[in-house]
Amino acid sequence: MSIRFDSVTVAYDGDVVLDALDLTVEPGEVMALLGPSGSGKTTALRAVAGFVRPASGRVLLGGRDVTDLPPYRRGVGMVVQQYALFPHMRVDENVAFGLRARGTARSEIRRRVAEALEMTGMAAYARRHPRELSGGQQQRVAIARALAIRPGVLLLDEPLSALDARLRSGMLAELARLHRDLPDVTMLYVTHDQVEALTLADRIAVMDKARLRACGTPRELYRAPADEFTASFVGGANLLPVTVGREGVGFAGTEVKVDTAAAVAGARATLCVRPHLVGLGEGPNRLTGVVREIQWRGATHRLYVRVGEHDVMADVRELKDPPGRGDEVTLHFASDDAVLLPAGVGHG
Amino acid sequence: MAEAVRTARAVGGGARRPRPFGALVWALPPVALLALFFLYPLALVVQQSFRPDSGGTSVQPYADVFASEAFRKALWTTVWLAPASTAGCLVLGFLLALVIAFVPFPGAKAVARFVDVFLSFPSFLITLALLFVYGTVGMANGAWTGLTGAAQGPFQFLNTPWGVLLAETTYFTPFVMRPLLAAFSQLDTAQLEAASSLGARAPRIVRKVILPEALPALAAGGSLVLVLCLNEFGIVLFTGAKGVTTLPMLVYSKAILESDYPGACVVAVVNVLISVGLYGLYRVVSRRAGA
Amino acid sequence: MLVHSRGARWALWAVFLVLFLPLFALPLLVVLGASLATHWSSVLPSGLTLANYRSATRGEALQALLTSLLTAAGASVLALATGTWAALAGASLKKRGKRVLDALFMLPVAVPSVVVGLSVLVAFSKPPLLLNGTRWIVILAHTVLVTAFAHQSVSAAVTRLDPAYEQAAASLGARPSYVLWRVRLPLLLPSLTAAAGLCFALSMGELSATMMLYPPDWTPLPVLIYAATDRGALFSGSAVAVVLMAATLLVLFAVSRVRTRASYR
Repeated sequence: MSIRFDSVTVAYDGDVVLDALDLTVEPGEVMALLGPSGSGKTTALRAVAGFVRPASGRVLLGGRDVTDLPPYRRGVGMVVQQYALFPHMRVDENVAFGLRARGTARSEIRRRVAEALEMTGMAAYARRHPRELSGGQQQRVAIARALAIRPGVLLLDEPLSALDARLRSGMLAELARLHRDLPDVTMLYVTHDQVEALTLADRIAVMDKARLRACGTPRELYRAPADEFTASFVGGANLLPVTVGREGVGFAGTEVKVDTAAAVAGARATLCVRPHLVGLGEGPNRLTGVVREIQWRGATHRLYVRVGEHDVMADVRELKDPPGRGDEVTLHFASDDAVLLPAGVGHG
Repeated sequence: MAEAVRTARAVGGGARRPRPFGALVWALPPVALLALFFLYPLALVVQQSFRPDSGGTSVQPYADVFASEAFRKALWTTVWLAPASTAGCLVLGFLLALVIAFVPFPGAKAVARFVDVFLSFPSFLITLALLFVYGTVGMANGAWTGLTGAAQGPFQFLNTPWGVLLAETTYFTPFVMRPLLAAFSQLDTAQLEAASSLGARAPRIVRKVILPEALPALAAGGSLVLVLCLNEFGIVLFTGAKGVTTLPMLVYSKAILESDYPGACVVAVVNVLISVGLYGLYRVVSRRAGA
Repeated sequence: MLVHSRGARWALWAVFLVLFLPLFALPLLVVLGASLATHWSSVLPSGLTLANYRSATRGEALQALLTSLLTAAGASVLALATGTWAALAGASLKKRGKRVLDALFMLPVAVPSVVVGLSVLVAFSKPPLLLNGTRWIVILAHTVLVTAFAHQSVSAAVTRLDPAYEQAAASLGARPSYVLWRVRLPLLLPSLTAAAGLCFALSMGELSATMMLYPPDWTPLPVLIYAATDRGALFSGSAVAVVLMAATLLVLFAVSRVRTRASYR
């Protein structure tokens, strides 16, 4: 089932929290809504669920306009951060809730509850109460409860952020497996964590300040971000203020060779280079600077190198003999690893 | 556009679609019940207070009541007794709650629970108990006459307003302690530790740290107790003293003992005006305090 | 800890006991002691007997106990239903509407109980609703008086209820009535029982409005206690008072058991 936002605007007491969102999620697709808190991503999800009413615009599910339907007539599954399992019901009663509410036959309920619990690996816990389960187990039950009604659309609102880091990566793999098992279920996944979005999503919609900033596959957004916000929010990036020249750009007094086809010579622009694509030592596009800070991160070293008036970040494989603070080092990066973006707020 | 956005309110929180009209309809049945069984009778009382037995509509009942010695005395007794009891409750409640919360002793929890239980007993039990403790032939006077051989004990205040004052202070103090204990339990102990590590002594900490934090709870509890004292009936009735008459007592005696309904209604209206006015104040104070 | 010196702490505790025991513990002990005695003219009661209890648990007193229990149960159920309904309806109103509703339902707290009694007497002593002289007028007045407390505590609980539960239920396809019965009310159950206990205790001890209204065949315990002390029968009155306290505590205890079960289910 597809989801379509048609110029959806939501306002609370005059504050616009979602500004004319246009977005289509294809049937069976996993779309991540990625953005910082207050970016409007959760509001967009709640507009699909029916908990917020758009001031203008329409929400369509599978081509049907549901803007004026109450939540209980929309048939979407929803999983929220705090699980919201009914504390007074056992696990199987929680999972059966949606089926009972719509008057499904008893035998059918039993079958579907067993199926949903099997799918999430919670069959052994059917007769427990939610408070007897760990956070990860509660999250599985919440997913089973949402899947039991066989929704065409599954809404996930920061489903992993209440879990600790180790559990989170496990659940991420589980969600990916669930999606392979249920290829027809369209998922809208709200998160502020780029790793979750990159791992799980077919496409990512990046949101900031109530607006959609960019939308594309993880690879597109990562390799060729459209603007500074997307570049820094998806994956983290060096955003270097540059002046466009004839065959490259000027940065801190050095000429850097990059593709300038899209830019006008003489204009100011931002050069985006991922830290892990910056190498230490001689190579093409050399930058020389002084190490301001060096952090050991296990498999890598993160260097902050002062080049001119700017810090350049470089993530390099763990060094046997790392440079010290104040040492002069040379950095380099390949021309096709750099993307030229329009000058933004980061321009100094 | 901005205007359109401002006027279109999004509905967050509730699971239902915005149905302001439907919500109003649902609120109607309980409001109708309240209107029929509480507001309408109250309105009749006001109406009755303008209908003297002689017939017609006039302010004669008010003139009669205001002119009577009994009313003025009752008004005065009510008006000084309630704030005095409230003051007693505040001081006593603050001290006791302070000890329970900050100088805890084994059994302090049990005492706090006892306070809760105390709240669920009717007020007149206190007066009944005081009859045995300070009554003419009670414990205290009995002990005195037993010791000194005197014919009469020294405690003869039960039939005076002081007896009512003692009973009201005793009974209503837990009403102050409960919100105070709740407020104290939310007080950050780190704040107290910081203050005492800086060398502040206990009285100073109480004055500078605890009292400001407790003020909202004190204000809310105090105004509730004030209203309850103004309206207290059981304690005064059980005291059984002719000399102590408060407004609620006067309402009862005029209506039931003298069958003077217009007069009773006048006193009732005056009493309601005083206590509802004060109660409005309490609501404002407690909303400020976030209680 | 506020007071560090051991001596000061002991001094404070002593002051606490000196204030607390005579003021709060003594009255209850005294009533208990008196209920077992026939005379009290020195430090301790004398003429120990169980006769007071024998008379406090039969005949007129037993009838009054039954009357009080029925009145309190009836008033609590009615008040809880009305108060809960108003609290739930108020929760879906807009801010101003909710404030008006709250104020309306809190008004009976501010109005003296005696006046509530008088107003009910004035209003229902004539047709079409002639209740005066029946037990219903007592139950009605008690209901009016305790509804405010029921409304207040349920309303606070409704505000605290996490909307995530009802939203989860709605997203699963449950219509509002189903959500109310299967999710919201069960989650409110602990608060509802607490409110019921409060209403019950208040109604058991209600004297002011009852004194204005009670018909001869519907005499609740507090009235009986007053009648006893008024004619000087303090000791048998005390026994009835102890029965009243014990009955109240028993019901409160039972209610709190239900509440614990409800919140740990």
